[in-house]
Amino acid sequence: MSSVIPLHRVNVLTGIKSARLIEDASQYANLIQKAKRPLFVLGPLLSEWSLDGKLLIEYALEIAKIANIPICATAHVKGKMVELGVKPDSIYDAVEIVNALKDAEWKGVKKEGNHDLVIFFGIRSDLEEQCLSVLKHFAPHLKTMTLCKYYFPHANYSLPNFRKDEQWKAFLENLIDSLKKGE
Amino acid sequence: MAEVKEVTRKLEEIRELIKAEIPWEPVGPTPMPEIPDLRAWDMRLLKTYKPWYAPFCDLCCLCTYGKCDLTQGRRGACGIDIATQQARIILLACLMGCSAHASHAGHILEFLIERHGPDKKVDLGTYIELEAPNIRTVTGLKPETLGDLKTVIEYVYKEITHLLDSTHFGQEGSYLDYESKALHASMLDHVGMEVADIAQIVGFNYPTSVADTPMIDMGWNSVDKSKPVILLVGHNPATSCTLIDYLRENDLYDKVEVAGICCTALETTRYSDKAKIIGPLSRQLFYIRTGIADVIMTDEQCIRTDMPIEADKVDSRVIACLDKAMYGLEDATEMETPEIVKQMVEDKKHFAILDPQKASEVAAQVALKIPPKRRKEWITDEEAKELAKKCTQCDMCERVCPNLLGLGKAMKDISEGNLAEPQKLFNKCIGCGKCDQECPQHIPILRVMQVVASKETWKIRAGRGAIMDTEIRNVGAPITLGTIPGVVAFVGCSNYPDIEDVADMVDEFARRKYIVVLTGCAAMVAGMKKDKDGKTVYEKYPADFDAGGVVNVGSCVSNAHITGAAIKIANIFAALPLRANYEVMADYVLNRVGACGVAWGAMSQKAASIGTGCNRLGIPVLLGPHSSKYRRLYLSRKEEDDWRVMDARKREIVDTGEPSPEHLAYVAETKEKAMVMIPKLCIRKNDTPQGRSIKLNHYISLYKKYMGGGLPEDLHLFVRRDADIPLVYKKEVRAYLQQIGWQPKEPVGLPTLIGTYPSKVPLDAVIH
Repeated sequence: MSSVIPLHRVNVLTGIKSARLIEDASQYANLIQKAKRPLFVLGPLLSEWSLDGKLLIEYALEIAKIANIPICATAHVKGKMVELGVKPDSIYDAVEIVNALKDAEWKGVKKEGNHDLVIFFGIRSDLEEQCLSVLKHFAPHLKTMTLCKYYFPHANYSLPNFRKDEQWKAFLENLIDSLKKGE
Repeated sequence: MAEVKEVTRKLEEIRELIKAEIPWEPVGPTPMPEIPDLRAWDMRLLKTYKPWYAPFCDLCCLCTYGKCDLTQGRRGACGIDIATQQARIILLACLMGCSAHASHAGHILEFLIERHGPDKKVDLGTYIELEAPNIRTVTGLKPETLGDLKTVIEYVYKEITHLLDSTHFGQEGSYLDYESKALHASMLDHVGMEVADIAQIVGFNYPTSVADTPMIDMGWNSVDKSKPVILLVGHNPATSCTLIDYLRENDLYDKVEVAGICCTALETTRYSDKAKIIGPLSRQLFYIRTGIADVIMTDEQCIRTDMPIEADKVDSRVIACLDKAMYGLEDATEMETPEIVKQMVEDKKHFAILDPQKASEVAAQVALKIPPKRRKEWITDEEAKELAKKCTQCDMCERVCPNLLGLGKAMKDISEGNLAEPQKLFNKCIGCGKCDQECPQHIPILRVMQVVASKETWKIRAGRGAIMDTEIRNVGAPITLGTIPGVVAFVGCSNYPDIEDVADMVDEFARRKYIVVLTGCAAMVAGMKKDKDGKTVYEKYPADFDAGGVVNVGSCVSNAHITGAAIKIANIFAALPLRANYEVMADYVLNRVGACGVAWGAMSQKAASIGTGCNRLGIPVLLGPHSSKYRRLYLSRKEEDDWRVMDARKREIVDTGEPSPEHLAYVAETKEKAMVMIPKLCIRKNDTPQGRSIKLNHYISLYKKYMGGGLPEDLHLFVRRDADIPLVYKKEVRAYLQQIGWQPKEPVGLPTLIGTYPSKVPLDAVIH
């Protein structure tokens, strides 16, 4: 069990199985590239959060494009994506996509089989942590990863609590670079 | 043989309790149902709407066999797995909620029977003959007196005991059975709530059989703080109504301000339109810390557990009026009033006083004596600025905020005199005060927030109790045919995620001619926003239970009138017998009544049982994002799940492929998503082409408005024939349907789940 305390105390883990904390973007890139059928679950906060004037949704779409990851848009983030010229591969709300993912036999958003790595980004942290809990307990057939700037104990792989936005920005840019190198 | 005798004896006892010999309707298959009696119905619901569990915790910590690790398929020492453990926790939550209302009902009944006698008639006025739809449907008893209501609540108590027993170590081992029990407990919650509110309406002469109830002032600034102020917090009106009587009888009502927080406020204003509503539960601590209340009278349910401590900080006095929350205070029920008043005024003591009459006398007298000695002023801008300057931006406040608010930035803004953004932030404050206790600089953050709290006074319509039978006759057909696109019930706590969300949603759906009903704290916050003309939704829309109406039904216990209205549609409009006939009523509501509950800010266990009770009756409930912390939803998977129904007219099972309603308990991430889900959750298989077209018109237009254009990706699942397509979107929808290869299908004449699962209910029972 990790001793990392999540930034939002509502997400403090009571238990034994917590996320592996990863600060090295190249490790994240490796995990993404090793996955056979990854899925990006993008939430509405991505169209609100920005780093140095660049919306987080732009980072997300760049990562998805480089690594060829299909996108599930939750809540109303689809509008911003379409504005940026990207049509999501599927639209479900957070609890709905999780509900489908926990079925090992589900065919996935591409109808090619369920996903083996699900990357969450831009969902309100208490809801995101609960969604990760569902998959941790009821979807042993897949791994979960987060790109939000806080530690999420219920994920398999999580970023640390970045104190500064610059650290987060550097991670995302390094991740993009690493993925590009691995193309 | 012995078992048959036992069953017969039990049934005879039940028939006696429900006065089965009175033939107002034939007694249905499940009078006073016990745990197994509606299990088959539950299992049918749970087959489509499967439980979705999001555990907080990897462990079970409920007994000393543990703690037990339940991760990765492990079972606890008793054999329980993680899913069953979640269901057990949910059952406990629903039982807490159910028992809170049932206990409230039991107490208020005792109080009113003492006052009026057990033979006091249940009479809800000229326009309400079907006075107790939940009670009649569940128990089979038509309550004619307060004494009859006592019979009902004793049945509820008995069931609660059995249900609670099942959560003990080493018993139930199926999450589905725990869910069935949670549904049972929550159905009983609506029975308990109905008992409570009928008793209150009858015993306190609350408004009934009327829609146009008085407008009430709401907001902390509605209180004249130059007068002595008595603040009532909680849910139970025994004390507040007695207080109003005392003030009236002693000619003191013009000299004292009476205000309430949470449901007691709604109850008190049903008794006296001069009383004021401060606001919902989320404003409790904030308001108490202003020190404006001279005397705080608490009763039960959603009251803070540290009330005397908080009162001490601002020199207010507390009277704990019910045994549910006595705070370790001295019980002064038997003490002489002058002595209690003396000690409260001079020694600044708080007391528990469990006699409402005495508590009222003491409260009034203390309130008249202590105000001159107390400071009752809002914090000044300058004071707030100086306090906020102490903030070092350490973020500790933000880390503990359950609503994840950026408080550090707000402190910085306030310290610089910029109040606009903090004002918006304070609207989202759920009022827990955890930020204050975390601040290493000891900044009283909630107190600082006084400078950004709105000083507005709003208007809210007083709660009106049950929906009238006459109204049901008018709207029964348009609701079931779909031409009134839905009934949307905003219920429960209002805490999360933004206090203005509910007002926005009410406005959107009332404008679209849905029927909007409200209760509890949600009813309050709906009124806490004005339009450009300065009107709240209560001033803007009519109060009728009709298309475009905005109806404040009342407090939390008035939620029973919302489920009751759904049952009334089945009974009054469709003429289906309701007596001990729960399965038929629930099946009708699920398949034919386009109703949807919205518990947007729900956080309490009571909200869990209110919502789960709606679910058993076939009403889907949409929750706010934080409500994923309830740990259980009921979700379908629209493309994979079983959407077969029986067409009762043709007597054949039809695979509709139509996910209506799509979910029973669902979390929407954002207000925008909720705006789109609500119209979808009002779609029913029974809709006529005209009704479906109206519903889809709202679904599509709200989707376009809030989701950034385009058509809903699941639209094809809800279009049965071309006639279902809204005229305004005909071209666009036809093109889309053609593109995806959509094929028309016949609407089902009389959709029902009866006949699709093992049930004692014959198919003929649903044909009217």
